[in-house]
Amino acid sequence: MGLQRGVAIIGAGMTRFHHKIHADKTGRDLFVEAALEAMASVDNGIELGDIEALFIGNFSSDSFEHQGHVAALMADWLGLTPRAATRIEAACGSSGAALNIGVMAIASGLYDVVMVGGVEKMRTLTTEEVTDVLAMASDEVYEAAVGFTFPGLYAAMATAHFHRYGSTWEQLCAVSIKNHHNGSLNPKAQFQEEVIDIARRLGERRGMTFRDEMEFLRSPLNPVVAYPLRLFDCCPISDGAAAVIMASEEAARRFTDTPIYVRGIGQASDAMALHDREDLTTIRATRLAAQQAYRMAGLGPEDIDVADVHDCFTIAEVVATEDLGFFPKGEGGKAAEEGRTSLEGDKPINPDGGLKAKGHPVGATGAAMAYEMFKQLRGEADKRQVPDAEVGLIHNVGASGATVVVQIYGR
Amino acid sequence: MFTVKDYRDALAEGYLLASKCRRCGAVQLPPRPICPKCGSGDLEAFKAPKRGRVAAYTVIHVPPSRFKGEEPYAVAIVELLEGVRVSGRMLDVSEADLRVGLEVEADFIKLGEEPLLCFRPLKHP
Repeated sequence: MGLQRGVAIIGAGMTRFHHKIHADKTGRDLFVEAALEAMASVDNGIELGDIEALFIGNFSSDSFEHQGHVAALMADWLGLTPRAATRIEAACGSSGAALNIGVMAIASGLYDVVMVGGVEKMRTLTTEEVTDVLAMASDEVYEAAVGFTFPGLYAAMATAHFHRYGSTWEQLCAVSIKNHHNGSLNPKAQFQEEVIDIARRLGERRGMTFRDEMEFLRSPLNPVVAYPLRLFDCCPISDGAAAVIMASEEAARRFTDTPIYVRGIGQASDAMALHDREDLTTIRATRLAAQQAYRMAGLGPEDIDVADVHDCFTIAEVVATEDLGFFPKGEGGKAAEEGRTSLEGDKPINPDGGLKAKGHPVGATGAAMAYEMFKQLRGEADKRQVPDAEVGLIHNVGASGATVVVQIYGR
Repeated sequence: MFTVKDYRDALAEGYLLASKCRRCGAVQLPPRPICPKCGSGDLEAFKAPKRGRVAAYTVIHVPPSRFKGEEPYAVAIVELLEGVRVSGRMLDVSEADLRVGLEVEADFIKLGEEPLLCFRPLKHP
């Protein structure tokens, strides 16, 4: 199956993701900021009147902000009414799913230009309350009720992966260190600081010195969240929004000479509860969504120059790089340790810092991945630019893998 | 058609209610209304074994609010039959002894009014 007509991204914008600086802003403030930046990024300019529909990914504004019905709200605040506005919810994969729906809406011929975005304002709640809200994306009856948390589910995957493949927590640390390095190069990232610099800063405060990152990561300053995952294995809680503008291939030419084309899309679901999955070390929905996207694009994993994968936890990046076909099963951790996923490696992963360092306002993450690929493939990613990147992939996961979206882009 | 209540009632009575597809033989734990393997709605109830092995686990140090004060506590995914797993709380095991492959047995306790599925390491005589 393919698209009935070509679709391209013609503009992209995002707020900085952060846990503090947006304290005085609401979700609507954040989304409008991202949307206006996306519009301003369109080379030949674009008017609000050009945008025919809005698709918004959002997980739980209801719980975080006591605000439902956010798609109409965002259309209202952006001055887009009476255009169609729809919210899409797929946990942390919400705006990834919205991206796919945006592509379908254009490919179907119904619209020529749409805006797809995502927003999540999470820091209204305490860490404990956020933990509760995120756990709603797991199976309440059979997982959350026995005590699983979100980090706990990925921690369980890690123990299964360690057991089967002999991968190690030290390999997970390589993911965290790499993503913090990339984040230090990204002005939109929540954490723009190398792990070693964080170690020095936190150490000074407590009169501790660390020989290297690993000594810091093994210290009590990196407490266990859900064994074997520690704080630096987990993405932070963030506020933020992102938006892209998509157009049909034909309409795109009016707006820019360098559109980024959607080459392939895929989406799959799986058992809600982790224990019901065929294999605890694989996210099957990733494999299936990737297969669909690769087939549509006529490309394979070897053709991907740069990818943003869903590293809500370090183990998730390791598993994703295997399931997307970048590395053989069981060797994702080793590849990270060897530097193959760094900006200079043969398969750069999460050049923007990933969820780990860039931040993870859950509903905004998929759209922020599309933003990053728009920048990378146009050669506009500054210090974090992957040289000569021509084909990019995004991988956005809902919860522990019950939803996965993959999109592939090309120049 | 099996409902969540059937499973929870069974927990309260001290057993694990599972379903088995009469068409393809696939087993579901907890029981389901429709066989996810073949789509059949013709399922029969049976009691799943209480003994199994840990397939994956974690020790929660940052708990959700409902389990605040219980941390650290262990949670495991336990394989009871080939490919048939369930999540439960692990009791009576230290972090050092918890491992993939550990033999465990189900126990059924109450947390307030709610039944809670637990597992304890199997004691070999």
